[in-house]
Amino acid sequence: MEPLERLLNLVGLLLETRTPLTFEQIRETLEPYRQEKVDSAKRMFERDKDILREYGVPLQLVDTDAWGTEQGYVIPKDAYYLPEIAFTPEELAALFVAAQGVRNDTPAEEAVRKLMVGAEGSTLAGLAGGPLASGSDARGSLVMAVAAAAQDRRRVRFGYRTSKGTASDRDVDAFTALFRAGHWYLVGFDHEREEARSFRLSRFTSDLTDAGAGSEPPDGFRAADLIAAGPWTAAGEDRATIVLSPDVAWWATGSLIGAEHVRTRDDGWDEITVPVADERELAPILLQLGPDAIAMDPPSLRDQIVARLEALLA
Amino acid sequence: MPERKGRAPKTAERLGRMLVIVPFLVQHPGSELSEVARAFDVPVDQLRRDLDLLFMSGLPPYGPGDLIEVDVDEDDRIWISMAEHFARPLRLSRSEALALYLRGTELLGTTDLPEAPALRSAMDKLRASLGPETLGDAGGIETADPGAPIEALEPIRGAARERRRVRVDYFAHSSGEWTSRVIDPEQVFVALGHWYVAAWDVTIDEERLFRVDRIRRVEMTGEGFDPRGLEGAGRSLYTPTEEDVPVRLRLSPAARWIAEYYATTDEHEGADGSLDITMPARSLGWVARLLLRVGSDATVLDPPELTAQVATLARATLDRYGE
Repeated sequence: MEPLERLLNLVGLLLETRTPLTFEQIRETLEPYRQEKVDSAKRMFERDKDILREYGVPLQLVDTDAWGTEQGYVIPKDAYYLPEIAFTPEELAALFVAAQGVRNDTPAEEAVRKLMVGAEGSTLAGLAGGPLASGSDARGSLVMAVAAAAQDRRRVRFGYRTSKGTASDRDVDAFTALFRAGHWYLVGFDHEREEARSFRLSRFTSDLTDAGAGSEPPDGFRAADLIAAGPWTAAGEDRATIVLSPDVAWWATGSLIGAEHVRTRDDGWDEITVPVADERELAPILLQLGPDAIAMDPPSLRDQIVARLEALLA
Repeated sequence: MPERKGRAPKTAERLGRMLVIVPFLVQHPGSELSEVARAFDVPVDQLRRDLDLLFMSGLPPYGPGDLIEVDVDEDDRIWISMAEHFARPLRLSRSEALALYLRGTELLGTTDLPEAPALRSAMDKLRASLGPETLGDAGGIETADPGAPIEALEPIRGAARERRRVRVDYFAHSSGEWTSRVIDPEQVFVALGHWYVAAWDVTIDEERLFRVDRIRRVEMTGEGFDPRGLEGAGRSLYTPTEEDVPVRLRLSPAARWIAEYYATTDEHEGADGSLDITMPARSLGWVARLLLRVGSDATVLDPPELTAQVATLARATLDRYGE
């Protein structure tokens, strides 16, 4: 008999049994364990239990009666069976798209396959295929660890290198795992600096070490506020006016967060406005567009750009 | 699934698969063998072998009427009975639920996809059904608002899905020009917050990577194509070619981010916190624009003509401000 068959029978037996079964009872019922030497049967059973538990089968050892004289094995149905979740075909297809992953994200794929059981009959063909994947620059296992730490409000330690190259060990109460513009961040309370900070996962230089229970974020805490929207902060109330050449306007407008199109000039250039909190952050972005972008207003932004160009040519 | 230890990884793997596939087959009588194999990512032969074994399993006392019955008919449709105890799959483990939730969060935070509303409601249902012990409370995982919708994304996705050759207008950052190209789009994916399509550029008969937000017009040519198995998500964004020039830059701390965003072939830490990098570039045009952005925070070590190109670009830009 093949091991797979034995395991399927064991799961079935322990799911359907009315009372917990001792090893002896299991041995009497399932033929493969009925070998002469009890020791080797027992060893085989131990290995099988390990395999089942690794797969998350909730195999439990419980008292067989109220007096606790004897213990037996059982798989409680409510712990085993996935609850029924009424997904629409569109929802299931969306989950399927999400799970198709970067570098074979097998846990996510496994999850969506379990959920597919509730799919309506004809959805299967529509689900398969579909070349689309999203992803980030962080290791999947690190994202998982950070997300779990944030959900469980753990205090964690890790090595970190800032964008400016300074490396240090950090000690943080995890509040939130936040995804923005292609990057995952850990947002939490930094014990050394005694304030909430954000850390980009791609800059971690070590795995997480758990350092016990963390703390709750303060009332009204918004993790997103700690991460700049783009290379510049889009939260400013002031707006700058920029004109873009026809070559770049089409895509550059979309890449400037909060940009609003004002008009297309007679010469084909587009006039737009963008929110600006700090001109020193906006100026470099415009400079990368070279002669295809001109800052019109405020004058201080123009001065900033001109000064940078002159410094470069000096 | 995480990597399995233990003596029989193969058995464990097959078991895991069966505990997911059998419930599906119970709920969907008459499913087609090859479709099931594809959806569950298992070779058809393997699926057949696994189904053959199911015959032997069941419930005590394991008489003929207690065993699972499996029938694959002449149309390759699968019928299963006597498997009520496997009518529902195993619960999602925490890591499975978390992985799926995180992938969904990434997709929601990337761009306004047509699937977004369905995905959002699916994730809400998932969280509600699995309970806080599996997916925690609502605060732990978040995404910021996605950027603006990308017009070319849906047509490109459709073309990749249906393997249609398309003509596109593309803004090449390297040359700073719009070009018209005929491409076979194969893989659509996100890297560093941007959508890319890995495609065969039919015009030059070479593989190319295109930023989807720089594609202006997508036009069906009416032709189809056979996929060449191009790499998608997770690939390096830089494909080496023979025309590449190695660009060497010295970056001050404020410009170190360049090493995070672009593929480098060599990096050396300097004593003063500077970083020397070598990055291959097919053309110097985009590097010059990048250098205009970082200004004095980067110094060109090589090639010398890049310095001249930056100066020319700076002068042309300065001219726009001359009154």
